[in-house]
Amino acid sequence: MAWETIDRNKPVTAKEAAPLLTEAIKDKIRVFFDRYETKRAVLLPALHITQEALGHVGPQAMEEIAELLEIAPSEVFDTIGFYTHYWTHPKGEKVVVACRSISCQVMGGDEVLEACKKHLGIEDHGTTSDGKYSLMTEECLAGCDHAPCLLINEKLHEKVKPEDVATLLEDANNDKIEMPRSDLYDGPPGGSVDSDSKAADAPAGE
Amino acid sequence: MPKITIDEQEIEFAAGIPVLQAALDAGLDIPHYCYHPGLTVVASCRLCLMEMKMPHPKSGELGWAPKLFPSCQTPARDGMVVRFNSETVVTGRERCMEYFLLNHPLDCPVCDQAGECSLQDYSYKFGKPESRMVDPKLVMPKKDIGPQTLLYSDRCVMCTRCVRFTKEVSGTSELCITNRGTNSEIDVFPGKPLDNPIQGNVVDLCPVGALLDKDFLFKQRVWFLQSAPSICPGCSAGCAIRVDANDDIVYRLKPRFNPGVNDWWMCDEGRFGWKYALSDERITTPRLRRGSSTKTPKWEDVSEILQYRFSQHVDEHGSGGMVVVLSPMMSCEEAWLLLSFMLKVGPNVTAVIGPILSVGEDQAFPAGSTGDETKFIIRSEKAPNRRGLEMIIDQAGCETLSFDEFVESVGDGEVSAAWIVGGYPEKTWVPKALEKAVGKLELLVAQDLFETKLTAAAAVTLPACAFTERAGCFVNHAGLIQPFESAVAPPNGCHRDGQYLYELAGYQGLYTPDRVRELMAATMSQFADVREAAPAPVHLH
Amino acid sequence: MADYEPVLLKNISLEGSTDLKVYESAGGYAAARKALKMTPDEVTEIVKEANLRGRGGAGFPAGVKWGFLPKDREVTYLCVNADESEPPTFSNRVLMEKDPHQLIEGTIIAAFATQAQKAFIYMRVEFHEPFHVMQNAIDQAYAAGYLGKNIFGSGFELDVFIHRGAGAYVCGEETGLIESLEGKRGCPRIKPPFPAVEGLFHKPTVVNNVETLCNVPHIIERGAAWFKSIGAEGSEGPKLFCASGPVNRPGCFEGPMTITCRELIEGDGYGRGMRSGKEVKAVLPGGISMGVLTADELNMVMDFDDPRNFGLLGLGTAAAVIIDQQQDIRKVLANITRFYSHESCGQCTQCREGTSWMDKIATRIADGVGRTEDLDLIVDVTKNMGMMPGLSICGLSDGAAFPIRTIVQKFRGEFEAYIAEQPPTSTLRVLSTFN
Repeated sequence: MAWETIDRNKPVTAKEAAPLLTEAIKDKIRVFFDRYETKRAVLLPALHITQEALGHVGPQAMEEIAELLEIAPSEVFDTIGFYTHYWTHPKGEKVVVACRSISCQVMGGDEVLEACKKHLGIEDHGTTSDGKYSLMTEECLAGCDHAPCLLINEKLHEKVKPEDVATLLEDANNDKIEMPRSDLYDGPPGGSVDSDSKAADAPAGE
Repeated sequence: MPKITIDEQEIEFAAGIPVLQAALDAGLDIPHYCYHPGLTVVASCRLCLMEMKMPHPKSGELGWAPKLFPSCQTPARDGMVVRFNSETVVTGRERCMEYFLLNHPLDCPVCDQAGECSLQDYSYKFGKPESRMVDPKLVMPKKDIGPQTLLYSDRCVMCTRCVRFTKEVSGTSELCITNRGTNSEIDVFPGKPLDNPIQGNVVDLCPVGALLDKDFLFKQRVWFLQSAPSICPGCSAGCAIRVDANDDIVYRLKPRFNPGVNDWWMCDEGRFGWKYALSDERITTPRLRRGSSTKTPKWEDVSEILQYRFSQHVDEHGSGGMVVVLSPMMSCEEAWLLLSFMLKVGPNVTAVIGPILSVGEDQAFPAGSTGDETKFIIRSEKAPNRRGLEMIIDQAGCETLSFDEFVESVGDGEVSAAWIVGGYPEKTWVPKALEKAVGKLELLVAQDLFETKLTAAAAVTLPACAFTERAGCFVNHAGLIQPFESAVAPPNGCHRDGQYLYELAGYQGLYTPDRVRELMAATMSQFADVREAAPAPVHLH
Repeated sequence: MADYEPVLLKNISLEGSTDLKVYESAGGYAAARKALKMTPDEVTEIVKEANLRGRGGAGFPAGVKWGFLPKDREVTYLCVNADESEPPTFSNRVLMEKDPHQLIEGTIIAAFATQAQKAFIYMRVEFHEPFHVMQNAIDQAYAAGYLGKNIFGSGFELDVFIHRGAGAYVCGEETGLIESLEGKRGCPRIKPPFPAVEGLFHKPTVVNNVETLCNVPHIIERGAAWFKSIGAEGSEGPKLFCASGPVNRPGCFEGPMTITCRELIEGDGYGRGMRSGKEVKAVLPGGISMGVLTADELNMVMDFDDPRNFGLLGLGTAAAVIIDQQQDIRKVLANITRFYSHESCGQCTQCREGTSWMDKIATRIADGVGRTEDLDLIVDVTKNMGMMPGLSICGLSDGAAFPIRTIVQKFRGEFEAYIAEQPPTSTLRVLSTFN
C-alpha cells in the first residue's frame, strides 16, 4: 500500500496462553447476570470488575469478556471506547484524576493539575515509569463546593492547593476511603467467590 | 393510495414508509447519509431534516411547527404536509454540509469514490463552496480492516451504515465504532477483520470514499465506467447486478436493487468471482479436428459445417443416439436455440442438463435466521439457470437423461453423437468417467470457455462466452425470469454464443434476446414479457 | 428566607444520617408505608397534582411522565438518574451521601406508582463514597424487608440495583442512560418511541432524577397542597441549589424557587457573598448548559421560567458557578467548549463537528490568536445547534450552544479588547501555519 495503514488483520498483542479472566473474576461477573434481561447489559460491570482485577482491559481480556457475555469482541471494543474510565493499556496503581470543570478552574484547578504533572513528571493520560501513578483529567467530579478537587482512586481530595500536591501524592493512604463495604455489588452474599471447581474440592459435608 | 404534500407537491406513497422514502420514490433529491432502506433508522446525520405542519397546541389551527423533524424517522401519513424548501431547512442543510467537510481531507483527486460520491454531490448541490474553518483539521488513520477492504477514516462521515450492515444483515458484527464525539472512528476488533461472505456490500453502502474495495483500488476513475444491467451467475439466487466496464474491460460488479431477490446486496463470491473471464487461456476461435490435424474455420462457415456434420451423422446412425448437454450457465435463449437446432437435425435427440455444482447448504444471513429475519441468501446451487433449462426441455418434450446417466451411457457406447456445452468458471468440470469414455463418441461438439479433455477430443470446438459478454435471461431458483445484458465484447476473434446459435437455428441477422424470446413465447408464454427485473434503483446513494 | 424549613436536607446534619434507624426515627419510610396502602394510580395522581417537575434539568412533570406508561404493560423498569455530570452540580451527591434512605423511599414509592419491580440507580463511576453509602443503605433496606418481596406486607415486590457508569456526561440523558444500562455506547436514542413506551430492554421505563424522587416521599406524606404552597406557580416545591466558585460559603442549599440568583450568592442561608477582594463578573446559574448571566442580571429568579427572560435555556440543575472579575473570559469560554467537545457522543453531525469546531476556535482565542470575525463565527455555529428544536437527537447540542452563545454575546466587548491587544502579526502567523 502506498500509504501507511494500520493493519487490523492481526491482533495487537500476542495472546497469553492462560486466560486472563480467572474463574474467580468470571464468578464476580456472573453475579450480575440475574439483574439484567441481557448478558450484554452486564458489560459495564464486567469491565469494572476486570479492570479492578487486572489493572486494565486489554484486547485479550475484551475477547474473554465477549465470550462470557456471548457477544462479539467488536461490541466490547465499541463500548469500551466510549467511556473515559476504562483503560485499554496498563495504568498505574493509583489513578490521579484532576477535575477541570469550570468551578475547579476558577478556584485554581489548572495550577493543581500543573503541580501534579510536575511532581509525577507525566502528562495527561501518562503513567510514571515506576508504574505507581497515572494521571488523567475529568470534566467534573461533582465536588465543586470544595474546588479544586483531585480524585485518587476512590478518595476525593478537596480544596487542594498546588503547594500541597507533593505531600498529597507522597501519602501512602491517599487513595482509600474508610467505610463499610457491601458485598452485594462486588460478589455473591457472604463475599464468597469460590469457583465451581474450588467448591467441588471442598471436603464433603461442608 | 395515501397522499402526502412535500414542497407543495402532492405525492402518492406506499403505506408504511418514512417521509424521506416517499420523497425519494417521487424523485426528489433529499440529501441523506445514515438512512438506507435496508437498514434500521438511526436519524443521526441530520441532513434530511424537514418542517411539518401540525395543529397548534392551543388553537388547533394547522401551521408549521417550530421544530425540525428527521424525515427518515417520521412515518409518512395520509394528508401530511411537509417541506424541505423553507429557509430554515435549506440553511440548516447548508451548515450541515459545511460540518461534513470540516475535517474531510478533500483528497478527491486520489479518491476512488470521486464521481460517485454523495459528499461531492451534496456539497455541490446543497453546500457552500468555502469552509469557514481556519483551524487545523483532525487527521484520522487509514486502516486495513480486512482481506478485501480498506478504511480511510478521515473521509468518513460517521453514517454508520457499514456498522449496521454487519450487525443487521451479515450478522457478523465485525465493525464497530471506537472513541466518541469528533474522535469517533469506524473500526474492527484487532485481529478480527471484516471477513464475511457478503462484506463487500459495506463498500457499496459507504456514501463517501471511506470504505474501499482493494480489488478496485486506483483501477479506474468511475466516470469512465459504463454500466450494463446483469444477473449474477454465481448461484441460483439470481442477484441483480451491474457490470461496470471501460473499453471492453470489466472492472467491478455492483449489486442492483432487486426487491425480494437480493434487495440491495450481493455476495463476495459473485462480486469477485468473475475474473476467469479475463483469462488469456480462453478459447476464442472455432476449431475443427480430423484425426490429429486441426484447423480454424471461418466463422461464416461454422453453421454450415455443423449442419453438415450432424446431418451426416443422422444419415449414418439415426438420431437415437444423439444427445445435447445444455449447460446451466447458458441463457434460456441460447439453450432454446441450440435445442431447436438439435431437434431439427435429430428429432429423437436426448436433452441433458450439465453438471450442477452444489456446495453445502443455502447460506442465510444473518446466520441461523428464518423467514422475514433473513436478509440475504447465498444458494448452494452454483449455477444460474437450471430452472430455465428445465422449462425449455419440458416444453420441447424430448427424451431426457440425468448427467450421470448420460456419462454412463457414453461409457456403455449408447451415445453416438453429442453436443456438450460447458461454460463453467472451473476448467475441471468434466468428470473423469466422461473424459475416459469420450473416445467412444462418433461425433462430439464441445462448446466451452477453456480447453478440457472434451475440447481436445471434439470434432468441432466452439468458444463459449463469459456472462459479461452475453445477453439473455436466467430463471432463478424461485422461477423468476430475469434478463441480463452484455457489458463487454467477447475476446478478439470470438463470437457470442447467442449469435452463432441463432444462425445455426436458421435465423438471420443480429441475435437479440428479445427476438428469441418472441419466438420462444409462441410455445412458452412466460417468456412473452420478460422485463428488467429491477426498476431504476430506488435508493440513489 | 430565614423561615424556610428544609425538607430534602432536613436529615443531613443528624448524627448517623445514613443509617436506617436514624432515618426512621426522623419519620422515614412512613410515606412509603402510606403509599403502598393506596393504589398506584392514586399515588400518581397526588404527584401529578403536586406538579412535581423533574429536577434533572428539563423540568418535565414526574407524575405526567408516569402517566405515559401504557396501561397494558407487563414489565416496567424504573431508572434513577444519579449520573450527575453537569458541571458544577453536586446536589445529588449530597442527597445520596447524606440521606440515602430518602432516595430509597422515593424509589419505592415511584416504583409502586409505576408498578416497576426492578429499579436501577445509574450512578456515575466517580461517585465512590456515595456509591458505598447507597449500597449499604440498600442492604439495610433489604434486611429490614423494605426492599425485596412483599414490602410492608403489601405484596409489592421491588429490587434495587446500582449500575455504575464509566465516565460519559451524555449518559445523564435518559435514553443515553438506558443505552448505557444495556451495555452499549451511551448514545441517546431517537424519540419516539419514548422510554415510557419502549425503554430499557424495550420495556416501558421511567427515568427520574435523584432529587425528583427525593421529593416524592414528602409529597405523599404531606400532600400536594403543602408541596404547592412552597415556591410559586409552575415552580412548586423545595429545590436544591448549588453555589460554587469564590463565594464565602460554597455548597448545596435548599430553598423555594422564588429566590434570585443574587440571593443564592449573597443570602445568609446560601452563599453568603463573595470572598473579600472578589467581585462577580459572570454566573452560570443552571449548570453550565443553560447560559451565562452578567453581574447586572443577578435578579433572575431561580425558577423554571424566568431564565428564559435572560436568554438562558432554562433552570437546568440550578447549580451556579460564580466567576469573578479576575477570570479571563476567554479561558472560561475555552473550558466550556472543551467540555462539550469532549462529551458529545458523536452521533449527530451538528453536535459532533460543531462542538469540536467551536472548541478549536475558542482555544485559539484563549491562546491569543483570535480574530474579531471568530466571535461572529462561533455565534453562527451555535445557531445550527440550538436555535431550532429537532436539530439533533438529544439536548446536548442545545446545551452547548446556549452558554457559548451567551458568553460571546454578553461579554463581546471583553473578547474584542483581548483581540485588539494581541500583537498584530500573531494571528496571521499562526493561521498561516495551519493552511
